[in-house]
Amino acid sequence: MSFLLVMKAELVRSFIIMRRYWFRTLTGLVLGYGMLMVLVAGFIYSREGLEERVQQFDDPSAATNFILGFIVGMFAFGVVGMFTQGLQGMATTGVLEQLCMSPHGLAVNFMAQTVVSSVATILSSGIMVYAVTWSVGGMLHWDTIPVLILLTLTFFNLVGFGFMVGGLVLVFKQVGQVAILVRMGLFALAIFAKEELLANPWPFTFLLHILPITDATICIKYVLIKGQMRSVAVAGADPEMVFSSVFAHSSFYWLIGNCLFWTFVGLTIFRFMENHSRSKGTLGSY
Amino acid sequence: MTDSALVELKGVSKRFSTSHILPVDEETRKRHFFKKREVCAADDISFAIAPGEIFGLLGPNGAGKTTTVKMISGLVRPDTGEAFVKGMSVERKRRQILRHVGVVLEGTRTSLWPLTPFENLVYYGMLKDVRGPILKERAHDLLDFIGLQDKKNVQVRRLSRGQKQKLAICIALIADPHVLLLDEPTTGLDVQSSRAIKDKVMEMTREQGRGVLVTTHDMHVAQELCDRIAIINHGKLVACRRTESLLEYFSEQIFVFRLDKPVDTELFSAIPGIGKVEYEKTDEPSLLIQLAGESEELRSEALYKIVRIFEEQRCLLRSISQRKQNLESIFLRLTTDNTDIDMTEKGNTCLSSW
Repeated sequence: MSFLLVMKAELVRSFIIMRRYWFRTLTGLVLGYGMLMVLVAGFIYSREGLEERVQQFDDPSAATNFILGFIVGMFAFGVVGMFTQGLQGMATTGVLEQLCMSPHGLAVNFMAQTVVSSVATILSSGIMVYAVTWSVGGMLHWDTIPVLILLTLTFFNLVGFGFMVGGLVLVFKQVGQVAILVRMGLFALAIFAKEELLANPWPFTFLLHILPITDATICIKYVLIKGQMRSVAVAGADPEMVFSSVFAHSSFYWLIGNCLFWTFVGLTIFRFMENHSRSKGTLGSY
Repeated sequence: MTDSALVELKGVSKRFSTSHILPVDEETRKRHFFKKREVCAADDISFAIAPGEIFGLLGPNGAGKTTTVKMISGLVRPDTGEAFVKGMSVERKRRQILRHVGVVLEGTRTSLWPLTPFENLVYYGMLKDVRGPILKERAHDLLDFIGLQDKKNVQVRRLSRGQKQKLAICIALIADPHVLLLDEPTTGLDVQSSRAIKDKVMEMTREQGRGVLVTTHDMHVAQELCDRIAIINHGKLVACRRTESLLEYFSEQIFVFRLDKPVDTELFSAIPGIGKVEYEKTDEPSLLIQLAGESEELRSEALYKIVRIFEEQRCLLRSISQRKQNLESIFLRLTTDNTDIDMTEKGNTCLSSW
């Protein structure tokens, strides 16, 4: 109940700002579209001959893969950023202390803020993904239920991770700068994450599984790009594409495990660090 | 716990320590490998605030005023001692007490600048668990009360500094708290805005029975606004009294006698209980006499004798006035001198004096 009330407040605030600064919202979308198109063109055609660069995009699935990775990476970058740069910004303006003095507690306030800003990001990213995918001639398999479940799990995965980093930022403000590197790492991982990456030696594979974005991106790409179709080898014939639900994919179980792990670890560390920062008096410092 | 106190601090202490790796010494400009610094922000502080009372906390920069405010609002956890609001321990019932406390912290933006004052109040109201039609009604009432109703639909970033400060007070009041903590509420404001805020603080304390803690550097604000004043220096309470009593205590019993002609100052040396005697540099002779007598009777006797001397010297006594101390001079004395006087009302505490 308490969470819903805070979320309502955050929703109203975000909607007012989005509406009041509609021009900025709109130009943000157009700019995002333009940037993605330039990146896609640069990424795909840097490996092609000069004459093909002016041709139509000839590998829509590679482009779609890249776009989707880019958008998921942006999402991860943004969610974790809420807990690092966002938190530092709030400490600078004094809003952080106001949130701490809310009877709902800092963690609930942050969770609500992140949910609302993520919904807005998902909506605007969805529009961009469709626009860019359509432009490069790709196609997305929008299976609503699996996509929503995956996005929700990805979100909590990232929020848990964000809470952990945010807790550290509450006490050690310099961690915010290091966190930029972590965010960029997550961003890059989202772009390049694919099932083939998990065929490495086990310590490396385990590390990839533990990171909050690898399995999430693999699952999302599996649904949206491959349409949950898996190639199965048939004796004496060409491999056959058969439907295999994402819920049966090993990455999906890693994602659930990760989600529980990061949410528990993140919230525990955040609460501990919040108390510690009250003892050290670092809540309002920046 | 003192009966009926809205806020009570009991022997609260707080030390902050900071560690730096490879810091540069500010004086010698030499780099150290590791340096640990400790600052005492509060040292055994005790006081209580009653309903309908404005309590002033004065002190130089870094004395521990803001830390004290933050300890009451639960933003900083004391090392020892305990803070209570409405009889509840701030540490143990933090969530509950936050519903009863409104805070305006110094130098922070508090309000969200892209929103209007009304939207800010609704937003913060929801965060403070106020809901439904009461929230909107209260937001309108507060804007009316503080005089921002005509600005309710203007974005905060377009408001003046005084208006933003008024809004910060409204935000602190949105949950209708019993306790209001104002950290430097008039700093940087023009005379009119400062006046308006002082009037509103007085109004809501007297009429609505809230307990208000004001920290300030401005002695005029403190003298005008506060019922009781505590002076804090290096984290220690060096004085805590009712405002009039504090002024009275430090009043040095200096009397100014305006005469038509000068009189020899040696004539007064024989009177018991007389301290310094000197002429003030003015156009007409003004004799300054300090009464050093401990008892009221001795001082009265000395005054009679002084007047008799003027009579004997056939002087025209134009006026007699007592030189009053103002809070600024008391503040400077207490925070710069190494005064050993115990200026707190009950030993080292300031718990029950209303």
